[in-house]
Amino acid sequence: MNAFITLAYRQLKRFTRARSRVIGSFVNPIIWLIFFGLGWSEVFNFPMARQIFGGVDYLSFLAPGIVAMTIFNSSFISGISVIWDKQFGFLKEILVAPASRKAAIVGRIVGDSLTSLFQGTVILLLMFMIADSLKVSGIPFVLLIGFMLAVAFASFGVSLALRMTSMEGFQMIMSFLMLPLLFLSGAFYPIDTMPNWMQVLAHINPLTYAVDGSRYFLLGTSKFPITTDLSVLALLSIALLGIAMYSFERATIE
Amino acid sequence: MYAIEVENLTKRFGDLIAVDHVNFTVKKGEIFAFLGPNGAGKTTTINMLTTLLKPTEGRATVAGYDVVKEPSEVRKKIGIVFQDPSLDRELTAYENMYIHGKIYGYNGIKLKERINDLLKFVELERFKDKVVKTFSGGMARRLEIARALIHEPEILFLDEPTIGLDPHTRAHIWEYIKRMKKERDMTIFLTTHYMDEADQLADRIAIIDHGKIIAEGTADELKRLIGNDVVYLKFTNGMIECIKAEFIKDCKILPDGRIELGVENASEAIPKIFELSIQKSWKILEVSYHKPTLNDVFLYLTGREIREENGESFAILKTVARRRFR
Repeated sequence: MNAFITLAYRQLKRFTRARSRVIGSFVNPIIWLIFFGLGWSEVFNFPMARQIFGGVDYLSFLAPGIVAMTIFNSSFISGISVIWDKQFGFLKEILVAPASRKAAIVGRIVGDSLTSLFQGTVILLLMFMIADSLKVSGIPFVLLIGFMLAVAFASFGVSLALRMTSMEGFQMIMSFLMLPLLFLSGAFYPIDTMPNWMQVLAHINPLTYAVDGSRYFLLGTSKFPITTDLSVLALLSIALLGIAMYSFERATIE
Repeated sequence: MYAIEVENLTKRFGDLIAVDHVNFTVKKGEIFAFLGPNGAGKTTTINMLTTLLKPTEGRATVAGYDVVKEPSEVRKKIGIVFQDPSLDRELTAYENMYIHGKIYGYNGIKLKERINDLLKFVELERFKDKVVKTFSGGMARRLEIARALIHEPEILFLDEPTIGLDPHTRAHIWEYIKRMKKERDMTIFLTTHYMDEADQLADRIAIIDHGKIIAEGTADELKRLIGNDVVYLKFTNGMIECIKAEFIKDCKILPDGRIELGVENASEAIPKIFELSIQKSWKILEVSYHKPTLNDVFLYLTGREIREENGESFAILKTVARRRFR
C-alpha cells in the first residue's frame, strides 16, 4: 500500500513541478478545437450536416473527441515516459526496493491517470463554453470513462517502455501510433462515413469506445450501446493494467 | 557470520563472461573493496548481489539470505548507491528522501527526523528544498548516500562512489564512508578503479580483472606480494658498490650508477643508511624511495596498469555523463 501511494504521490508531485509541461499539454487540444473545430463548424453549418453528426452541431460533436484525445495523449505519453526513469536511473531505485513492484507500478499508473484526467477535465470545462448542446449531467460519467481510458493507455505505455531499449523508439511510436489512433476513433468524423477498411480498424481501436461513450453522456447520441462502450473500456483497462503489472514484476536491468 | 558469502558466482551475457566463478566473503562490519579496471565485472557483481540481475551460475547470500531465492529479504537489508545517478531530478532533495523512506515503510515523525539527520550528515540540509536537477555531481552523490541510509541497511553497496568527482568532494565522501563504518557499524561493499580509494578505505581488497578475482587481502598483504620497499641512492666520487647491512635485503647496481636497495620499510631504513654513510664517509648525492602501491600490485599480477586500455576512456565518458546530469 505504501508503494502504491508513494508512487502516485511522486507522479502528482512531478506534474505540479513541470509547469511548462502542464501548459503545453493544453495547447495541443486547444489548437485542434479552435483551428480545426471552429473552422469546420462553419463549413458544416447547414441543416443536413446535423444529420451526419447525429443531430448536433459540429463543435458539440467534436467536443467529446477532444476530451478523449487530451486524456489519451497525456496518459500514453506519461506511461511511456518510464523510459526516462530507465535513462535517469530512478527505475533501479524502485526495482531494488523491498516494496511490492505491482503496487508500485499501479501507483504510478494511477498517479499518471489522475493528472491526465485533470487535463481532460480542464478541456471539458472549456468545451462547455464553446459548444452549446453538451449536457452537464454527463460530466461525472465522462470522467469515469476518461479514467478508464487513462489507466488503459498509461499501462500500455508502461509495458511498451519496459520493452524499449532506446529513446529513438519513443518518437517512432508517437508518430506511428498516436495520430492514426486519433483519426480512427471517430473523434473528428463519424465512423459510419469512413471507407470500409477504416471502419474495421475503428472498431478495434479502443479509443473509439471512449469517444463514443463520452458522446453518449454529453450529447445523448452514440453509435454503440453504452454498455458496450463501458464494458470494452473496463475490460481493456483491467487487461492492460494486468500486463503492465506482470511486465514490471519481471523487469530487470539487463 | 559473514555479511556476504559468494560461491562460484558467474554471469554470462551471450558469449561474454562478465563475472567468472568468483568466490569471496565479506565479514560483518568491514569495508570490502572490489578493485579493478572498468569492464572487469564489478558492477555486474553488485547487480547480482543486490538482486537486480540473476546469476547464470553459482550462489550468493547477502545478510544471510539467498539473492535468488529470497530477493525481498535481501532488499530489506541493503542500501545501494549506484554508479549512475538514480535520483528523481524533478523533485527536491527532501522529496527524494521522503519517497525512498515511504517505499521502505517509514512514516511520520520518525521518517522526517531521519531525513533531517541524514541530510545533516551529508551537509545538504541547506539544500533540502532545492530541485535535484540544480545539484552538482558531488551534491547528488551525497544525497544518494544519505538516501541509501534512510532504512538503516545492514550492508551498504557503493558502486564507484567517487567516480568523476573533484578531489575535494572525494575526500568528503571518504570521510562519510569511514564514519558510516565507525558510527553505524555498517558493512560496506564498494567497487572502485581508484587505487588510493581502495587503499584508504578498505579493510580488505579483492582485485578483479576480466571477471576473475586475481588476488585478495589487506592492502599491506597485497603489497607484500611484490616484496619490499625500494631505496635508490647515488653517491659522489664514484662510490658504486653494494652496501651490506642486516636491514638491507638485496642490493643492485643500476646502469645509471644508482644503487637500488630492497628494504622492509623505507622510512626506517633511510636514517640508518645516512648513519652508515657518515661512518664510512660516503657522500650521498641523491636519495629517493618507492613504496609499492596497489597499482604496482596490479601491474605485477596482470602485466598492465589498472587505468590503461579502454579503462581511461570509459572513465572520461562517465565523467561526461555525470556532467550532463548536473
